[in-house]
Amino acid sequence: MSLHNILSMMIVDDSMIIRNRIARLVAGPTLPHINIAGLAANGEMAVELARDSRPDLITMDLTMPLLDGEACIERIIDFLPETKILVVSALADKATALRAIKKGASGFLHKPFTDEELLDSLLELID
Amino acid sequence: MRHELRPEDIEVFSEAITHFFNTCTGETANVRSAYLIEHGPAVLWNDFNGLIEISGAYTGSVCFSAPRALLSHVLLKMGESVFTDDRHADIVGEIANTLSGRARRHFGEGLSIAPPRLLNYGEQSLPNISGNLPYAIPLGWHGYEASLVVQLAPGP
Repeated sequence: MSLHNILSMMIVDDSMIIRNRIARLVAGPTLPHINIAGLAANGEMAVELARDSRPDLITMDLTMPLLDGEACIERIIDFLPETKILVVSALADKATALRAIKKGASGFLHKPFTDEELLDSLLELID
Repeated sequence: MRHELRPEDIEVFSEAITHFFNTCTGETANVRSAYLIEHGPAVLWNDFNGLIEISGAYTGSVCFSAPRALLSHVLLKMGESVFTDDRHADIVGEIANTLSGRARRHFGEGLSIAPPRLLNYGEQSLPNISGNLPYAIPLGWHGYEASLVVQLAPGP
């Protein structure tokens, strides 16, 4: 993924506080310019939004109502195989992280996270 | 009633509280010794109570109970500038979710975690899902008092 293209990103989390925090950090000076393609509060909304906006990057919570993050990753990767998905979840066991990676996620960041940890994870994803 | 949680099980939640405040606010919370709530229901007295219901290999719940002022201060530390009831409800649920999720390092993926829900004023006490006595873990941060109430037992 080239740093010279303007990337688009979708943020998926059932917490508005977390969605806002990620959006604020992405808009800051550390990362290259990234357009926020949309914010989704559950997995169903995320799949719909991903179909419409076709983002390059997604941050994805796992524990969500309607459709959980793992199922959401599988569905999105099915029609957007090039999209990089960073899982941002409180679920801290290794099996969950491995399963998310197997389903198509490109990285995993545990909550709670510092600003630096999120920015480093996103930089790794777009490098 | 049983109270089968071992000290190391409780310690996981105490460590999760410490980790949350250090990471999200840069400031340490004073996490005190856990105690068993032996008499009466686990009554919640704070302004906001975020509940996570546990299922799978375990059954029970995890509830973070905090006053509005503590949550406002946490929101401020996390960069929020809006301090409505909705934002307070959101952060109390997110804290409960984060503490429960971290406990899966110890309990494993069998500790299934539902999305958070807010206990409203009509619900004066925690539902006794597990049949076990609950533990309360009190904490202080910036002069505010809050608590995490954990009731957990092996699943059916």
